Parts: sequence; C-alpha cells; structure tokens
Amino acid sequence: MVNLNTIKPKNNRNYYLALGLEGSANKLGVGILKHPILPSHESGDNSHHCQAEILSNIRDTYITPPGEGFLPRDTARHHRNWCVRLIKRALEEAGINDPRNDIDVICFTKGPGMGAPLHSVVIAARTCSLMWGVDLVGVNHCVGHIEMGREITQAINPVVLYVSGGNTQVIAYSENRYRIFGETLDIAIGNCLDRFARTLKIPNAPSPGYNIEQLANKCKNKDQLVELPYTVKGMDLSMSGILAYIDSLAKDLFKGNKKNKILFDQKTGEQKVTVEDLCYSLQENLFAMLVEITERAMAHVNASQVLIVGGVGCNVRLQEMMGQMCKDRANGQVHATDERFCIDNGVMIAQAGLLQYRMGDVVKDLKETVVTQKFRTDEVYVSWRE
Amino acid sequence: MSQEIVDEVAKYLTSNIPIVPISQGAEAVVFTTTIHPYIPSSNNEKKEKFIIKYRPTKKYRHPLIDKSLTKHRTLSESRILSKLYQIDGIKVPKLIACDPYNGCIWLEFLGEDLPNGFGFSNLKNFLWMNAKDPYNDCVKDTLYKVGQQIGLLHWNDYCHGDLTSSNIVLVKDEDYGTNWIPHLIDFGLGSTSSLVEDKGVDLYVLERAIISTHSSFADKYNEWLIQGFSDVYKSKGKQGNKKLNEVLKRFAEVRLRGRKRSMIG
Repeated sequence: MVNLNTIKPKNNRNYYLALGLEGSANKLGVGILKHPILPSHESGDNSHHCQAEILSNIRDTYITPPGEGFLPRDTARHHRNWCVRLIKRALEEAGINDPRNDIDVICFTKGPGMGAPLHSVVIAARTCSLMWGVDLVGVNHCVGHIEMGREITQAINPVVLYVSGGNTQVIAYSENRYRIFGETLDIAIGNCLDRFARTLKIPNAPSPGYNIEQLANKCKNKDQLVELPYTVKGMDLSMSGILAYIDSLAKDLFKGNKKNKILFDQKTGEQKVTVEDLCYSLQENLFAMLVEITERAMAHVNASQVLIVGGVGCNVRLQEMMGQMCKDRANGQVHATDERFCIDNGVMIAQAGLLQYRMGDVVKDLKETVVTQKFRTDEVYVSWRE
Repeated sequence: MSQEIVDEVAKYLTSNIPIVPISQGAEAVVFTTTIHPYIPSSNNEKKEKFIIKYRPTKKYRHPLIDKSLTKHRTLSESRILSKLYQIDGIKVPKLIACDPYNGCIWLEFLGEDLPNGFGFSNLKNFLWMNAKDPYNDCVKDTLYKVGQQIGLLHWNDYCHGDLTSSNIVLVKDEDYGTNWIPHLIDFGLGSTSSLVEDKGVDLYVLERAIISTHSSFADKYNEWLIQGFSDVYKSKGKQGNKKLNEVLKRFAEVRLRGRKRSMIG
C-alpha cells in the first residue's frame, strides 16, 4: 500500500514545496512545485494525480553558433554563471521570501547526463541545502520526465516513449520499476537530428530539432522520399548508420557532386533533391521507426496509452504519427506535452523528487549526492507506485 | 482490433472469403478462413481451416516506407517458411500462398483449443494450464522438444528473431494421444544467419520471455529448453559439439550484457 502523506510538510502547512534543479545537458532549469495534501494519496496508486501547482518554471539554454555542438566544459561554465540568478528569479516568481522555512526539499538531477554540467548544478544544490538547512533528493532524469508527463496528462499506466538528445527508450512500468523494453543501440534520436543540423549549419536556437522540423514542413515534394536505411531490430533501433548516410548526401549536395545520381539528374545535371527534402525524409524515416517499436511494446504489454516525453516529443509530426498509430489500435490514446514540460526543466525534477521525498527517500549524507553520467531508468526503485 | 482494419482486409479478400479474426500483433492481424486460395472449396469436405496473416497499411508512416517494408517482410517471412518446411525435423506451418505487395500470406492452420477454457494451444497457454503441476513429464517432454526445434533451426543457420512462448504452437501427436509436437510460427523477424551472435541473442530473447511470463518455474523450464537445444548439436558429432560451445558461450555473454549499456541524456 502506497501512502504519500506519511512525511508531514514543514510548519504544519497543508502543502509541500519543492525546488528542482536540472542541468544534465545544455539546458539549465529551475522550477518550484507545490503539492497539496490529498486524502486520495493515503492509499492506492494515485501518484499521477497530485494536483501539482507550478509556481515557477525557468529555463536558460546554452546555445552554440550554427555548426557547433555544446562542449561539456563550456556548458558547465554556462550553468555556473546562471545558476544563482535563475534560483533567485524562481524564488521571486514563486513569492518565496524565506526558503529556510518555506521549501521542504531541494531536488537535483543525479544522472544520467554530461558530467561537468551535472557537477556544477549539484554544487548549487548542496550549497542551498547547507545554507537553508533543507533536505536534498537526487533524481533520475528519465524518471523526472516520466513523472512530469504522467502528472500533466493524467495518463495512468502508459507505455512511455522517451526521446531526447541523449536518450531513446521505450519504457513500461512493472513491479516498481520503469522497465526498458526497447532502446537505441548506438546514438539517440535527438543526437542524430542535432548532428544533422550541424552538418546543414542551421541555427541551434531555439533548438536544432525544431529547425529541422520547420525545414521539413517546407518540403515541396512530399510524395517522394530519399530512401534511407530502416534499422529496427526487434524492439531496439539503431541510428548511427542513417546519420552517416544522410550526412554524406548533404555534403555531396553542398559540394555539388554531380556524380551522385540520387541528388542530381545524370542527363541534365539538374538538382533533384533539396535540403528540405532531406530533412523531411530523415524525419519520416526516424519517426516511423520510433512509432513501430512503441507499437511493438504496446502489443507486448497489452497497453492502450502512450505517453511521449523528452525534447523530441515536442515534434508535432511525431505526435501526429503516434496518434494515427493509436487510432488503429483498440482504445488507443496518445498523450504528449508541450515544450514547457517536454524539454528539460526544473519542475520535472521537483515532481519526481517530491514523490521520492514523500516516500521518505532523502539524502542522509552529502556523500550520496555524487552525480553520475550513467544511471539507467530501471535502476530506480519506484516506491510511489504499486 | 479496430473495425477499419477488419474492413480493409475484408475489402481486399472480397466477400467470397469469410474471415474470423483471432489476434492483432504489432505488425500483423491474423484471421482464420475455410476457403483455400486455389483448391475448389468443394474438395474441402473436412472443413479444414486456414490462417490468413495480413499486414495492414500503417497509416502513420509514409506510403513509400510502408510499401517497401510490407513487401520486404512478407516476402522474407514466406521465403524462410518455405525453406524451413523442406528441412527434415523442423516443424513449421505449410505456406499456401503469398501476396507480398498486399502483405498477405495463407498458411496451414495448426493447433487446437486446450481443455477447460485455457485457450489456444500455444506454449504460453499450455504452461499456464500446467501451473498446478508445473514439473510433470508432459511439460518436460514438450519443452525438451521445443529446445530441439530451436536447435535444428540454429543448426541450419536460421534465426527466429522473436522467440516467445506465444510464438510456439503445440499440435497433438496423432500416434501418442497425450504428447504434443511443438511448431514454430511467426518468422516476421526471422533471418538466415551463421553468426553466433544472432543465435545467442535468439536464445536470450527466449529466456527473457520465459522468465517474464512463467517466472516461478523459469529456471527448470529454461534448463529443459537448453537440454533439447544442446542434444541436437551434440548429435551432429565433433563439429556439432564445437559449435554448441560457441553458441552457449556467446549466450552467456549476451546474458551478462543485460539490456546493454547506459545512455547519457
């Protein structure tokens, strides 16, 4: 039996307040979240229904020039520079004057992610904790995404497709773990899109994937596709080969290599394929693979709901395709959120962290706050579900 | 199964071929029918049933991707089935007809309904039926034979790709009333491969499937499966023993990998 109300909030309030700090990649997020005490939480699996209230959700993204990715060292410097300012702003927005008394718990990303950025954020978390005397909770980034998605969409027990810059996983819950049914064998989908955006030298703001999506929308000849490898392996997939291939096509296109018959008409020398076509084909191909493995997982565990989380989850085309797939299955439903919650943010860390805190799982010694680059989704014991 | 898909299949098959839906997987829908695609139905006095496996168009993906995948997978499944049917000892359903462009194959119907409402006679339902007396001789014998089937498959350099207890159908042995003969079905992810890696992964997938659906008795079950598997290789002499060691060694390695490495994000 799950009871989320055993740990009482500070000062006999009837709500909890959590500060969430996220910085596992190039986004620095700070969020403050409020959970009222609900009688429905005394028993039963109601962790998807916390009536969470978002008091502030601030994000600052480290954006590199076109054609460049973000390096760990520079990203960490960005996070160090902005962390204090963002926390101050978040507290102000939430109307918290005295964090010592008002905040129940500080949640930080424990992993997975890039080492240096994780480190700079956890230092801020430790400092705040010592300064204010507030408990700390370390959160798995992926579980943060899942819990936020469940809270926003109220999906009870969905198959989760987690797609972002560093992760591509199909996850389903069973016996207190978020189990991974399928995942990428090499690079993540966001990584694939980002690196292709770098080859195209298109801007990294607001995000490379978004710009690829816009280019794909501009594709004029949607009946034709540039044929790309389709690499689904059971419930897993592989994307490095697709990237290498489409990269080579893009380079040939920029160089004007007329010998390439896919890109240029061999008789007239006319260009057959545009950058927009390449973006469109890449998206269609990658997303078809994602939807296929999701459908496999759904058939395997007999689920009817899908929840899409992670940065790539904002892509409208992906949501559309998932919706179509669900329509063809009995009672299929698709749940997705918008960029505020899809892209890395502090609130999701606060949501998962607060659930953990309410189950009594807090850091007892600063030694436990060491961050880690490798931290699998299924390593977390999900005590707040049944 | 959504009505739209049933309508799509009915339209493709025309109203002359009555169909009864059985199941919907991720990729295909399965029906039974009493009509043979090319033998006149007046010959079908025994009211024999046939399986129609249809891969519906996936509207979510681009029509070009969909067409090429449907064609490729239907064709490769049919090819593997027809090749396997020719090999002595391997039990697979007989391929009757195949239409790769429309994603449709006709197969011989196998199996029956288990007594006491335990459903269709696949290995999964059979093991659940026997859950009260999980280690009886019939179970042992059946699992041993399943292991033999997989051993033969691998020995002939084929891989199944999706070995689960629901992809193994049991057929009553006509000579010995209580015995079951396992048949392998669903070669949608099948391939020909001489790599130990693919075989190791195949065995690992089966082991995981048994553990997740029959967890309490999985140790013994997997032991019997591997026994049957090994005996096929051992019967092939010195070379068989050598290959067996390679496959089992890789199987142990794949198992250690778990589900692969951690990712960053």
